Formats: sequence, C-alpha cells, structure tokens
Amino acid sequence: MRTFLAIIVCKLGHFVGKLVGKGSSMPGKFALKVCPDVLRRVTLPEHIIAVTGSNGKTSTVEMIAAVLRADGKTVVYNEEGSNQIEGVTTLVLTHATLSGKVRADVLLIESDERYAARTFQFFHPTEFVITNLYRDQLTRNGHPEWVYDAILPALHPETELILNADDPLSSCFAQGWEKVKWFGLDRCSISTDAPTGVYHDGAHCPLCHAPMEYDYVHYNHIGAYRCANCGHKKPETDYTVTAVDLENAQVTLDGGVTIALAFRSIYNIYNILAAYAACRECGVSGGTAASVLSNYLLKNGRMQTFRLGAHHGTLLTSKHENSIAYDTNLRYIAASEKDCAVLVIVDAVSRKYFTSETSWLWDIDFDQLCAPHVKRVVLAGRYCNDLAERFSFTELDNWSVEPDIAAATSELKNNGDEELFVVTCFSDRDKILSRVEKEA
Amino acid sequence: MDVRIIHFYPDLMGLYGSRANVLALKRYLEHLDCDVTVEQVSPGGGADISRGDFFYMGAGTERAARAAMADFSRYAEPLKAAAQDNAAMLFAGTAMDLLGKSAKEADGSSYEGLGLASFTVEHGKKRIVGDVYGHTDLYPEAIVGFMNKCGMVSGVETPLLTGLDLGFGNEKERGPEGFHWKNVFASQLTGPLLVKNPKLLETVAAAVYARRGKPLPVDRPADRWAEKAYAVTEEQLRARAQSK
Repeated sequence: MRTFLAIIVCKLGHFVGKLVGKGSSMPGKFALKVCPDVLRRVTLPEHIIAVTGSNGKTSTVEMIAAVLRADGKTVVYNEEGSNQIEGVTTLVLTHATLSGKVRADVLLIESDERYAARTFQFFHPTEFVITNLYRDQLTRNGHPEWVYDAILPALHPETELILNADDPLSSCFAQGWEKVKWFGLDRCSISTDAPTGVYHDGAHCPLCHAPMEYDYVHYNHIGAYRCANCGHKKPETDYTVTAVDLENAQVTLDGGVTIALAFRSIYNIYNILAAYAACRECGVSGGTAASVLSNYLLKNGRMQTFRLGAHHGTLLTSKHENSIAYDTNLRYIAASEKDCAVLVIVDAVSRKYFTSETSWLWDIDFDQLCAPHVKRVVLAGRYCNDLAERFSFTELDNWSVEPDIAAATSELKNNGDEELFVVTCFSDRDKILSRVEKEA
Repeated sequence: MDVRIIHFYPDLMGLYGSRANVLALKRYLEHLDCDVTVEQVSPGGGADISRGDFFYMGAGTERAARAAMADFSRYAEPLKAAAQDNAAMLFAGTAMDLLGKSAKEADGSSYEGLGLASFTVEHGKKRIVGDVYGHTDLYPEAIVGFMNKCGMVSGVETPLLTGLDLGFGNEKERGPEGFHWKNVFASQLTGPLLVKNPKLLETVAAAVYARRGKPLPVDRPADRWAEKAYAVTEEQLRARAQSK
C-alpha cells in the first residue's frame, strides 16, 4: 500500500512539477518520505546500468541511451540530470505502473559519485560504468580518494564493473572483484610519453604510494601506468580504441569498427568508448553501436558555436573546479590552427553553492595557450584578478583583464575577426551566450 | 641574498594548487633581488636541512599524508633544530597534521608525527569544507582561505589564526586555526594561502630575512593582481561572515 501511495505521490508531484517548471528531484523526495525503501519494493528492468565518475557521466549516459534505443530497447534515464537518490526515485516511479513495475528494458542511471552508495542501498546495477576519478569540485568532493571511498560501498558483488583501464585510481575498484570489463586506449596518435599538466596525481601508486612509471599517456595522468613495487598497472582491455585519427575526425575500435567524431576531443573519445563498452555488455552488436555513435551530436550543448561581431565563436564549457576539463579544452584550442582569441570567464565559481575558492586555477595548465595562433586572451568576471595572478605565472604576455563580462564581450565584438573561444563553466556560460548570436 | 627553498613531496602533497605557495614566495624574493633555488624532495630522495632557508609542504590526501610521513620522519631532528633556530617554514593543509605528536586515522589506526608541536590530529569520516575568514595576531588584515579537511586538531596553544568569523578552525566552528611558533607557520587551510593573502606572503618573506639577521627591504614589490584578488575575496567573505 505504501509503495502504491509513493508511486501516486511521485506521479502527481512530477505532473505538478512539470506544470510549474520545477526540478525533478522533489517528487522523489516526497515519495521517499511516504515509503523510504520504495526502490526495493518496485520491480526493476533486467538491465540496470549506472554511470558515475568525475567527467563524462552525462554524455556517456546520453550516448548509451541512444544506442540502446536504436537497438530496439526501451530505456528510461535521468535526462534532467538529477543524479542523487531523490532524482533516481522520481525517474523510477514516474516510469512505473501503479503495481510498481518499471516499464522499460533498461534503467539507465547517471549517479552522483559521492551519493551513489545512498542510491544503491535498495537495489544494485547489473552494470556499473566508472568513467574516471580525478580532481573535480574539490570544495564539495574533498579529493579523489575521498570520492573513491564514497563510491566503494555502492558496489555490489553481483554488479559487473565497466572500468577505465587508463585511470590509475578508478581502476583500483577492480581489486578483489570478479566481474570486470575494461575499456581503454592503445598508444595512438594523440599519446605522449609522459604525463602532462602542472600537477602529477599519477606520480605515486594509489595502492602502495611507490613511484609509478608510464609507457604512454593520453592526457594528464591517464594512460599506461605501472607500479614496480606492487604491480598495479593498466590491465588488458576488453574494449579498445586502437587508433585515433584526429585530422580526419575518426577513431577505430577493437581494430575494426570505425566511428566518426562529431567533436575532436579526447573526452569525446573516452565517452564514446565507455558507451560502446556498456552497450556491448548489454548485447548490442558493434555495428549498431558504431552507427549510432558515429557523428553523435550531444544534446547537452557543452559546445556551442555562435557569432559575435565579425568573430565566429565556440563556447567550450569547462567545469570550474575541474582542472582536467579546462586542460582538455585548452588542448583543443592549442590544436586548432586558425588565429584566435580566447575569453576566460570566472564569475560564479559554482551555480549551486557560494564559495570564493580559486585554488583550482593553479591546477590548470594555461601555458598550453602559448601558441602562435592564440593572438590574445581576455580574462573576465568577478575572479578575473585571481585569473590574472595565475596568468602572471605563465609564459603568456598577450592577456588583458576586463572584470565586466558585458564590457569584455563588447570589446571583442567591436574588434577583430579572428576565431573566438570562450572557456567557462555552466555557472557562467549564459552570461556570454545571452550576448551572442547562437548558431543552430 | 641566496635563498634555498626546500619543497617536500610536491607530487604526493600537491592538492588544491599547493605548489602556488612556492611560486609566489620565490617570485617575491626574486623581486627583492634574492637568488632563489627551489629543491624538490621526493620520498626516499633526501635533503640537507642545514642548507634550507624555507621549508614547505602542501596538502595531500589522508593516505598520501601518511605515506609522506613514513619518509618525513627521517627529518624530524634536523627540522626541529632548524625550527628552534628560527628557520622559516610553512605547512599547509594536511601537511600541518604531520607536525604534531600523532595522527589517528578514521579506521582507528594511528601513526606518529614529526613531534615539532605537541598537538594531535584525529581524522574522521566527515569532510569539513568551506570558506574561511579569520584574524591573526601577526598583522591587522583579515586572512582568507578555504578549509577542506577531515581532521580535528587538539592541543594547539599558539594558533596562527587567533579567531575566525567564518569557517571551521582546528577543532570547532569559528575556533582558532593553525599553529604558529617562532617562524613555523602551519594551517589546515588548503591551497595557495600565500597567493590569496599577500600580507601573509610578506610575513613569511620577512621570516626568511629575519633568520639571516636582516629586515625586509623597505622597497618591496606590490603584486596588483594578488592585491585586487584579495580585496574581492575579502569583501565577499566578510559579507558572508556578517550575514551568518
């Protein structure tokens, strides 16, 4: 009876929430009050796929859903991004019959990494994808090992883990685990011999803290690591990017499946690979997965093109407090060849909470912008002085500061016609997007 | 003046932009015409403490801090002697935890600290995070920073921050924070403390000079971006403290 009531409350709450445009976690919150263990009482689909990690959750989940649907499966997933237990409850109950059966072949859940244990106390995923674990929103997450410890209790022995072989920290989840599938990139055209970036979280083994060595690296400390002391190393992969051809925007999977890249970013490659691995584990053929993932354009709009005066612009959404997200986008700019200007905006560090914390700026490798085609860099927003201080420790000398985002935008609009890259976070991107002509 | 900065475990203890403190002090001293050398020490690497003018360690994970301590203990006697002899040093974030008598982990296990100070630290399962706005007896301006820790520090008699208007101190909300004795500066505040607080950078530089028997030169560099950044954050956090 309580299950039934919780489902009714959730469905009603969801209906009302949609009318008034409210968030997707509130109905689940009410339902959990009515029946705290409702997630244990409902009948869930055969496949429950969870995705967590520092970067790539939303994109990976979106691509998994697209592939599974193309394969004829009914998929429900938290498209609205509410990834804690309340949002998951809303998702499950709104798609359940009044008798508590979820009408889907696959339940797909993007899970907040710190709260995964809470979400999965009542049921467990059949497949659990962990994309990576590194410095991300440390003001709320503490540090990567803290997050690792928070995820650990969320893993059920019956769950198959789908792990990133190239990440020395999240690969540790396989310790003592039987059911593990690995995805990773072979040494390829984008690899370097040694870790990149201004800090080196892969210098020491996460298990024994002895020094680690790398055979090759794809970005920062993500690559082929090995610890001579305890033997922790990149494992053999089950799903592998065997070649990367950025010039022609394509990757080869498992030596034979070609996927065209809608966006030539290393992140995109890892997200595609993680999605591919998860879908293959759910019985989808490589051909079907490849046909959907090829040229897949993400709906989440983290990359938006626009025009500003004579400039053609690209917004590269980079999470504040996530240095690797910044590094990856700076690498993208450095690899572009046309003359360009770069606008970096740090105005609100977070859209969800107050903080003046800017230490993460020191973890970003802004020196990647030291390239002849990067003609100028403009630093804007409330924390432009912190950015300027950080830039004063780089080799760059072609940067200027304009605290006011509107003024910085006007100045750019009225001057020059070079390509423009805007690097900022969700919390600040509308402050620029409201001032440009967005392209479709 | 030649200055040698000894930076302990930059990779292992390099969370939250900790390295920026070394960059800031080095540049500040160079602007005062010092010839600055930075020696980075790795576990097992070894360092000649007698040659150092400034010793630094930044924040790491709790497991990294314990691993660092396994190596750091070999420097206990020379570092204590250097501290007694007024050597300047800064331990930021979890590095502060290593200065005391002992550290107890959340799983109940414990290990010995350097014993330079008499405090103890106990790591818990709750993360204490938040902006900090506080005061020191060293100068009138407020100190701004960010706390990101799980350790409660007990037994500090000479804190670096004597009171907080915002944030968590050594063992309680708005309580005293950090440790200060002679020229030893320690704070669980994470990240680029010396960048965020230009006055603290000056104070630490003055400590380096003082050990050489010299005052800081009167003509000192002003870092306008750091000053402006401090002003914005100070205003933000003061308003935040007042509204609470």
